[in-house]
Amino acid sequence: MLDYLGRCLVQLVVTLLGVVTVAFFLMRAVPGDPAQYMLGDYATKEALAVLREQLGLDLPVYQQYLLFMQRALTGDLGSSVVTGQPAMTEIMDSLPASAALAVTGLLIAIAIGVPLGIISAVRQGTWVDVAVMMGALAGISFPVFWLGLVAILVFAHKLSIFPALGASTSGGLLTQLYYLMLPAIVFGFSVAAYIARLTRSAMLEVLGQDYVRVARAMGIRESRIIGRLALRNALIPILAVIGVTFTLAFGNAILIEVVFSRPGVGSTLLKAILARDYQLVQAGVLVLAAVVVVVNVSLDVIYGFIDPRLRVT
Amino acid sequence: MTATSTQAAPSPGLAPAGGPVLDIRNLSTQFPGEDGPVTVVSDVSISVSAGETLAVVGESGSGKTVTFLSSLGLVAKPGRVTGGQVLLEGTDLLKLPQGELRRLRGQRISMVFQDPLSGLNPVFTIGDQIVEVLRAHRRMSFRSAREESIRLLARVHIPDPQRRIDDYPHQFSGGMRQRALIAMAIALAPKVLIADEPTTALDVTVQAQILELLTELRDDTGMALVLITHDLGLVARYAHRVCVMYGGRIAELGALDDVFTAPRHPYTISLFRSIPHLDTPPEAELTPIEGQPPNPAALPPGCAFEPRCFQARGRNDCKTIVPPRFATTKPAHLSACHHWRELGDLSIQT
Amino acid sequence: MTAQASHPFPLPAGQNPVLLISNVTKTFAARQWLLARSQPPVRAVDDVSLELRQGETLGLVGETGSGKSTLGRLVLRLINPTSGTIRFDETDITKLSLADVRRMRSRMQMVFQDPFGSLDPRMTVRSLVLEPMIVHGYPRSEINGRAETTMRQVGLDPQLADRYPHEFSGGQRQRIGIARAMVLDPKLLVLDEPVSALDVSIQAQILNLLRDIQRRTNIAYLFIAHDLAVVRHISNRVAVMYLGRIVETGPRDALYGNPRHPYTVSLLSAVPVPDPARERTRKRVALYGEIGSGNAVPSGCRFHPRCFRARLVGAKGAVPTVTASDATLPANCVHVNPELKPIGGGHSAACHYPDEVPAQA
Repeated sequence: MLDYLGRCLVQLVVTLLGVVTVAFFLMRAVPGDPAQYMLGDYATKEALAVLREQLGLDLPVYQQYLLFMQRALTGDLGSSVVTGQPAMTEIMDSLPASAALAVTGLLIAIAIGVPLGIISAVRQGTWVDVAVMMGALAGISFPVFWLGLVAILVFAHKLSIFPALGASTSGGLLTQLYYLMLPAIVFGFSVAAYIARLTRSAMLEVLGQDYVRVARAMGIRESRIIGRLALRNALIPILAVIGVTFTLAFGNAILIEVVFSRPGVGSTLLKAILARDYQLVQAGVLVLAAVVVVVNVSLDVIYGFIDPRLRVT
Repeated sequence: MTATSTQAAPSPGLAPAGGPVLDIRNLSTQFPGEDGPVTVVSDVSISVSAGETLAVVGESGSGKTVTFLSSLGLVAKPGRVTGGQVLLEGTDLLKLPQGELRRLRGQRISMVFQDPLSGLNPVFTIGDQIVEVLRAHRRMSFRSAREESIRLLARVHIPDPQRRIDDYPHQFSGGMRQRALIAMAIALAPKVLIADEPTTALDVTVQAQILELLTELRDDTGMALVLITHDLGLVARYAHRVCVMYGGRIAELGALDDVFTAPRHPYTISLFRSIPHLDTPPEAELTPIEGQPPNPAALPPGCAFEPRCFQARGRNDCKTIVPPRFATTKPAHLSACHHWRELGDLSIQT
Repeated sequence: MTAQASHPFPLPAGQNPVLLISNVTKTFAARQWLLARSQPPVRAVDDVSLELRQGETLGLVGETGSGKSTLGRLVLRLINPTSGTIRFDETDITKLSLADVRRMRSRMQMVFQDPFGSLDPRMTVRSLVLEPMIVHGYPRSEINGRAETTMRQVGLDPQLADRYPHEFSGGQRQRIGIARAMVLDPKLLVLDEPVSALDVSIQAQILNLLRDIQRRTNIAYLFIAHDLAVVRHISNRVAVMYLGRIVETGPRDALYGNPRHPYTVSLLSAVPVPDPARERTRKRVALYGEIGSGNAVPSGCRFHPRCFRARLVGAKGAVPTVTASDATLPANCVHVNPELKPIGGGHSAACHYPDEVPAQA
């Protein structure tokens, strides 16, 4: 187990290094100049040059990279050129809002997707199955920002059940949830579609296994076979997809945060990219990559609990 | 050309007395096919008595497995039983509602399948799986079910059952997995145990151990044992009676010694001639059964074996009339061959 | 070709066997999951020597974990041996470069157990049969018409050449597999359980086909199977493997008629014959315990924990004994690994007490 965790740690470090490097060069490859952005269109050449020197932007890119890595390894990712705050602080401040959205959305997705997938598998070929799969197809096909806009139109504008925009960071838990619900549902719905489809195919495969036939021959109740004996086997591929969707979740979160004007890593990152706020982008990418790796490692550990064949001895 | 061998000395080849526990009558099962329904089991009647081993012999497409899956209401959809009765101690299983049939499965009639590697659920311990079966039928605490499971594992000769009960299937060898599955199948002392090719996936030395175990359990509990197999050697060693199936129908049915010394169906004879055995002279040529095993979706209109039969030779009745089950000269020895009288006795040592 | 000759295929002077396996060992690193503690390597094949001559069939029998399939893959150099040499056609194939191995494989081919799994479902029978020729760079002129002739040789109707594998039954698919193997006129065919996936009524067709091909082409077969009756039917000589070692080898009739290794005795007695009267009188020799795994090979003779003969000899007490596996066993069985010793007539057994033959049925 220790070996395993050690290996995960190595994996984490390598992944983060790679991701940060890619983000660094990608940002430099995008046209645009942070100094120009900060000083506006009418800045003098001299002023620009001074600022660029201050920011280290006059150096060749590889030197900038080495300098950045040197600082990054000591934990200093620089400060946002826009706000002047340390980049890491800025990102960490916006993380809770994103995490809340992603986790709530995923919980909603699981709560909808897994049962629908199971029902669909058990009733394979019936109208129930067809209806669920049509719904899932729709969920996958409609872009999440479109779903978000429709949801705002229907639930906030016409029905006025939920607030249309923003988030409450100061209010109590209920208020926060109240603001969170609509974006989370929109997000959950699109992910639920993936989960339902996968649950269905995983269940169908498991229900065709010999041990299910044996359980039936032993007179075990169908509900017990599906809900316990088969489901635990089907959970393994389902979890894998949840891991992937959690990764996607943060990607989708950007869109949703923008549509709903919510604070979060997504909207912070978007603003940072538009402003060519290199430091902030790098910190954001680093944090997102860390979240993805940590989620996947935790899933690996959970696999071990579900599937004894993978258990570390 | 009738059999003239005198009555053999009393032998284990004779079935024990007693009425049938499981009595399958005129069972038919169909699956929908591209060109209308395909009859996979057609008018099959077999019975087994308490303490008896009935061997059901056939190759793929013979309907031997589907016959018994049908009896247990386990035919995979969209297949369905289209006729007949399955009497378990007098109760017609086919007339029972699903819930009641489920309660009988595992409890009064149980089944062991071919592949022990895939028959156990990989994510539960052996103990969990036996407990699951016990508690599906009996009100008992987890604790007592677990104790009972340990006893069952000991019963099927798994060494160190207190410890092995918490193992997962992948920690068991193939033979031990089949023992564990047998433990599940006999957990509730069923009256009938159906073993479908229980050793085909296992090594020959393990095969012998598993079949000795099944025979021992049959003797101890007086249950009826149905052994579905394609191995005529196993039949000779372990069965009292034999049912040979071909193309979804019974080709021949009778006491072991009658069928093995004086087969009354050309398919049975061809089977003996086509398979090498440790007893046949090594240089003897095998006589293959020409052609392919029957396709249930395209059975000939007459006898299913007619296209491959050495004796039909284009005879009109073989081609057009499905043979009924003829009574032969031996008691309870049935043949589904129009021309069974022409078949001589078999000498295996050709 | 006298029956008494030590080898059923005496070699003409100056001619060497097609296949000569000398002291071949193959170890696999124990499977490591997530850097688990390293275990001693598994000896899947342990110091095996065999030879195979032109026109001869060597049957290789053994149970799960015996290493018989590993040996087959070593012969084709699908895997590399850890030590030892394998000479095919007088060339040590263990030293060849991969390109040379590929060239050499046109002369030695393999037939697999599952005829379906080894055939690409998107290729017609014609392209499947011709594929080996194309891979080995035969000119177009030689390839033309070869699919049809080869199909005819294996009893397939050449008119079916443009069909796909799924349109064929299991037996026909195995014929396609054999056609693919035969199209290059190999000198050696390694057959790994070629009939065990087939229906009983079809097995004989394939066995007869293999016999016909051998009579016609004088090809050598290494026939790997677990079915002792099938091996007896097709083989001239037989080798029995147990936990990676050959425990007994000899001419077919000697090995089946007078098995000398207790494992062979147990194995043969476990196979039932379809004769009720014989079955009632036949003696069965039980094996103790279960076959171990390759990573925990017992000391001394690897069969001793399961051996009935060691128990008999130990009980007589005429030799030094020790207590092992809950029994009194001869000390050398527990401590000394027996060599594969000749016992006459080309028959060898790796047993310390090959002459202690129990009363046979």
